Amino acid sequence: MIKRSFIGLTKPKLMCDLVEPGPKEPESIPIPPRMILLLNETLDSTRESLIKKGDMVKKGERIFLYKDSQEYVTSPVSGTITSIAPFTGDFGAVATYFILETNTTQDIDSNFTEFAGTPDIVTADRYLRGIPGNPPLKQLADSANKINKIVITGVDDDLMCTTRQYLLTRFRDDISKATALLRQLTGISDISIAMPESMAKLSAFNGMNMVKVASDYVSSLPQMIMVNHLGVNFVPGKTCEEMGVCFISVEAALSLVKAYAEKLPVYEKIITVIDKKGKKTRVSAIIGTPIHRIFTHIGVETGEKDRIIIGGPLRGTAAYTLYHPVQPDMDNIIIQDANDIPLISDYPCINCGNCVRICPANVPVNILVRYLEANLYQDAADSYDLFSCIECGLCSYVCTAKIPIFQYIRLGKHELTKIDSDIETEAENV
Amino acid sequence: MFKQNKFTVSHAPFWHDGDSINTMNLNIMAAALPATLFGVMQFGMAALGVICLSIASAMAWEALFNFISKRPITIHDYNAAVIGIIFGMMLPATIPWWAVITGTFVCIVVGQQIFGGIGANPFNPAIIGIAILSLSWKIFFDFDAALVNYQFDFTALSPLDALKHQGPEVVGLFTLTSLLMGNQIGAIGSVFGAGIILGGIYLIIRGYIRWEVSVAYIAGIIFTALIFNMVDPVKYASPMFHLLTGYTLLGAFFLATESSTSPVNIIPMIIYGIMGGVMTILIRNIGAYPDGTVYAILLINLINPLIDKIRPKTFGKGCNQCVK
Repeated sequence: MIKRSFIGLTKPKLMCDLVEPGPKEPESIPIPPRMILLLNETLDSTRESLIKKGDMVKKGERIFLYKDSQEYVTSPVSGTITSIAPFTGDFGAVATYFILETNTTQDIDSNFTEFAGTPDIVTADRYLRGIPGNPPLKQLADSANKINKIVITGVDDDLMCTTRQYLLTRFRDDISKATALLRQLTGISDISIAMPESMAKLSAFNGMNMVKVASDYVSSLPQMIMVNHLGVNFVPGKTCEEMGVCFISVEAALSLVKAYAEKLPVYEKIITVIDKKGKKTRVSAIIGTPIHRIFTHIGVETGEKDRIIIGGPLRGTAAYTLYHPVQPDMDNIIIQDANDIPLISDYPCINCGNCVRICPANVPVNILVRYLEANLYQDAADSYDLFSCIECGLCSYVCTAKIPIFQYIRLGKHELTKIDSDIETEAENV
Repeated sequence: MFKQNKFTVSHAPFWHDGDSINTMNLNIMAAALPATLFGVMQFGMAALGVICLSIASAMAWEALFNFISKRPITIHDYNAAVIGIIFGMMLPATIPWWAVITGTFVCIVVGQQIFGGIGANPFNPAIIGIAILSLSWKIFFDFDAALVNYQFDFTALSPLDALKHQGPEVVGLFTLTSLLMGNQIGAIGSVFGAGIILGGIYLIIRGYIRWEVSVAYIAGIIFTALIFNMVDPVKYASPMFHLLTGYTLLGAFFLATESSTSPVNIIPMIIYGIMGGVMTILIRNIGAYPDGTVYAILLINLINPLIDKIRPKTFGKGCNQCVK
């Protein structure tokens, strides 16, 4: 954990980690006997589901929950479903998880193979959602979005994370293939590659449309790249996709290349695991592997009251179980020792101004947090720029009163979005 | 089922820079020490008694109010102690014990706790205490009378009172160096200018006060006093004299910079500081009181919420359609 420096006059400048020179090949985690698959749809006990306990699924088979379901999850192995249950994630996000017992014989579902010769975005969206890196195929396939720029991001959007940088250097020769494939899939010609400034010297990237990102922390966030390098204005409350810019992680782009080359979906996710002492180990695990398999394989220990951080220290989420499965967008796992966990407090804001000075979006955080604490979310959005927040987490990091400001901000946004969608549903029902 | 560890689950960020209200307040108290210790050396054990009683009674009032209002006891954050030490620094060494306790009651309970405690006070609590005390028992704040029994080897006159009553010719009795080094009569913690400046610079470097406020306040003092002095040097004292006497330096580094009552954006901090300096000199030169710092700071505390609305354009606001 980076502490405040003795001289507090200058605002702290957090630097992102750069990938170590000559990185080792990732350790491969064997396919576990039991996998957990997460499907981003609510389990509704009153409806009859397509998939039931005891059903067999093939490797590469898409699992839909109901007849009219849009969401699917691709089974990375062939096996038997032994359990279907609801899963609650961050901010009450509901999903469904399946437990899959791996079979010894592997049957392969080859539906995608016949489409692999002619890449187009509709079939890619139909078969390749949820491959490692989680490519935003749904957004790209949605013609309402009017995306005209694609950025392949080889920079990690949090401190300590290096997975994307590793993949960018390790597979740099495939990047041009990825660009060509994305161009073919989407018909968008404006494709650039975001990479750390230090890496831009590599000759492999010659002739590509490069975005050189500084290594200080907020520069690598998508909104910052969009505004500083692409000249697209940020509009509060809209996503980058709505502004016409689609960010796709380098892993997602490489997975697409691999899937079309092998004519089968791919499942090996590269993850950087950082143990309590800060030692980094890179592993390659099949999507759906419970994370405790990774820990036991590489000998990382977790204790009572430790924190398992998925993602980085400033923007990640905490897992509550070792059975949390490997997800397509899980670049990083950090184990934080129980003694290193900073406490938050219920103190009010003392108006010290640290958050205002560090906020990259100039949000008046000191006033905003007072509104959010009082549940006045609409006022916070109208008068104090709640939606201008780009969710970097720095305000909570520097807060002298240890207020969980970032959590308040995300809660405020979440509640307002919920109210909006409730109004829409009501309007539809009238 | 296997026995599973329970993990800590919370929202991001998972790191913190390690700063806290305790650390901040301990640093402010450390910064106040040089000036306070000098005051104790200058005015003897009586001064030490006043400072200790001030800190102790401030903490006691906060604990008592927490207890009565059934809220968690918060004296461990040293906020009351900071108010206590700053309040004590503004008192003369000979003030009676009951006045100190009454003063800290006003500071802590009236100035802060009834508004909701730390962070909710509209005015600097120590200033509220001093303002009410000096209005109620004016005699204690006549430093010449208060310290009449002391023997000093320098001009034993309170510079600002002398200036008010006898005119700027008394300025010649004080050299700037002697004022800076504490050879003047005044409150315990306000006489040693060099010590206050030292503490102020320490706080600025550590980032616990906002340098813009202090610099703007001092600039406001110097600028206004200079104009008066240039217009009529016979009637008005020089800027440096104003800077080194009374509560001016305390105001610049410890009072105007109190975090809940001062702005956080750059332009408002400058306006706030300059207005404080201007008002201080206006009260001293035109108004009725010898030292205007207390009322000047009350006034700028009052306008703080309004001027702090001047803030930089938020990300993505304003000119959305224009070409970059």
